[in-house]
Amino acid sequence: MANNERRYVIIGASAAGMAAAEAIRQSDSTGFITVLSEEPVQPYFRPMIPFLISGKKSVADMTLVGQGPYSGTGIDVRLNSKAEAIDTKNQTVTVQGGDLVLYDRLLIATGSRPYIPPEIEGTEAAGVFALRTLTDALAAADCAAQADHVVMLGGGLLNLKAAFALLERGLDVTLVVYSPEVLSQLMEPDDAVLIRDALNKAGLKIMTDCSATHILSQAGGVNGVLLNSGQEMFCQMVCIGKGVFPNVNFLEQSDVQVDQGVVVDRFTACNAANVFAAGDVAVTFDPITSDRIVTGLWTNAVEMGRCAGYNMAGRTTEYTGTFGILNATQVADEPFVSMGIVHTSGTDYETHVFSTRNTYRKLVFSEDGERLVGAVFVGDISHAGLYRYVMREKMDVAKIKPFIIKHTLHYGHLLLP
Amino acid sequence: MAQPKEIFVRLDRCMGCHSCELACAVEHSQSKSLYSAISEKPTPQSRVYVEWVPPDNRLPVLCRHCEDAPCMHACICGAISRTEEGVVMTNADKCIGCWTCVMVCPYGVIGRHLQEHKAYRCDRCPDLEIPACVNSCPTKALVYRTVDEFSKDVRRVASREMLSGEGG
Repeated sequence: MANNERRYVIIGASAAGMAAAEAIRQSDSTGFITVLSEEPVQPYFRPMIPFLISGKKSVADMTLVGQGPYSGTGIDVRLNSKAEAIDTKNQTVTVQGGDLVLYDRLLIATGSRPYIPPEIEGTEAAGVFALRTLTDALAAADCAAQADHVVMLGGGLLNLKAAFALLERGLDVTLVVYSPEVLSQLMEPDDAVLIRDALNKAGLKIMTDCSATHILSQAGGVNGVLLNSGQEMFCQMVCIGKGVFPNVNFLEQSDVQVDQGVVVDRFTACNAANVFAAGDVAVTFDPITSDRIVTGLWTNAVEMGRCAGYNMAGRTTEYTGTFGILNATQVADEPFVSMGIVHTSGTDYETHVFSTRNTYRKLVFSEDGERLVGAVFVGDISHAGLYRYVMREKMDVAKIKPFIIKHTLHYGHLLLP
Repeated sequence: MAQPKEIFVRLDRCMGCHSCELACAVEHSQSKSLYSAISEKPTPQSRVYVEWVPPDNRLPVLCRHCEDAPCMHACICGAISRTEEGVVMTNADKCIGCWTCVMVCPYGVIGRHLQEHKAYRCDRCPDLEIPACVNSCPTKALVYRTVDEFSKDVRRVASREMLSGEGG
């Protein structure tokens, strides 16, 4: 079949799916691109949904098409079109309602969904949210308008951002964290001291080393949370932020290999011919540790989606993996970046820590000290991208190590060694 | 489309005077005057950084407006796009200050405006014929040329040196 008639079908209209559509359009100006979205709204920047809760942004502010790099034309996004099954022999996708969509190249970019711990009872009650979609955020905003007290389960970034959005609305917010400190996936407790102080000052109540066992409700919805300590907390709203897991259920009857997420090779291709996968749903790898990982990060999903898009359109492009940890943000006026290997307790990594009243940094080198493998910056995150570059390229740091440790590295050091 | 001009750095010419930084900050002030820019709020920021590399090298570093701009693709709110002139631009109104661009820029040239809580970088001075940094450089270490013009200049200098080496 001629290239100009190729039918590209993408399941999922978020970061990976839309980035892939854009990359395909760059490489193939005439192929047919169809994006199937199970959501009822046009594609949007998902990381912005906490702003719907705070009211700082509107739905229109979050629109994806036409913004940033998303300017490609002739991309047909079909809303309310959940993929129910795929048939890799006949190259078809069955869409909810029974429609069959034929493909020449298929991308699985169905993302992930919130993990709801089964050991917590009562999670179905009205007023319990696991923020993932724009629709979830709008419902949470409505609920917040009626609530005074909110309990957030989980101390990750999503919950922290949501917690701040609710604080800004003037609600009383308590974060219940199973780990000894917030952001335990992204840093060690000692790394989080400044952030914790800032959160406390901002008025967020944080309970660590405890978890919820029951969400209590009555006819009108949630009215409290029971903790494992026996303590009962009064609230009208609960947000669960306990991580995400890949959306792979619809692949059960197919021959696409799934191991936690969809398994792909270095060129983002699945085991089935002409099928690719990218984003949260795909199993990728960490170039430093070589671990197989599934990540839940917009930036990673875009990078992998673009790579898949080029491969689908015939421009062979190797995906170089991503760090398991790669986060930048600002919570409570405290900016931070965390990337690579940062959990160093009990390991032999060469670790350099430096802290002042308002900054903190940790630089992690390989055991032989020759490679930078991880970094945490809090307060001052300048030039963070350079450190990421040094890590990713596995550069020999012999000549630049003092600058890395002092956080004075700049591009000149790399250009004129 | 005609090939757009870019800002090139001639490494052998920079003497580290920081004039470009001053000119850049003034151009990105409200008043565009050094004397009032100093006291303006938000404080005008330079988008070019003169760095020192031991033992004795100076180097102005600024946004390369990468062809495959990592910042633009990494941005989680669509605030970074490319203009028709090839300039990678941060829309301050859309920027939410999440600093993802700072985390992915391999040149370290995206600044954080702390008073405004916005990311900023070189915009190649859209209101000027020649960017302020280039115009202010006393040694012409910064030049504003198309890729073809710049490489032609480099070839011309090289051939002149070759000729003089041959005694021509």
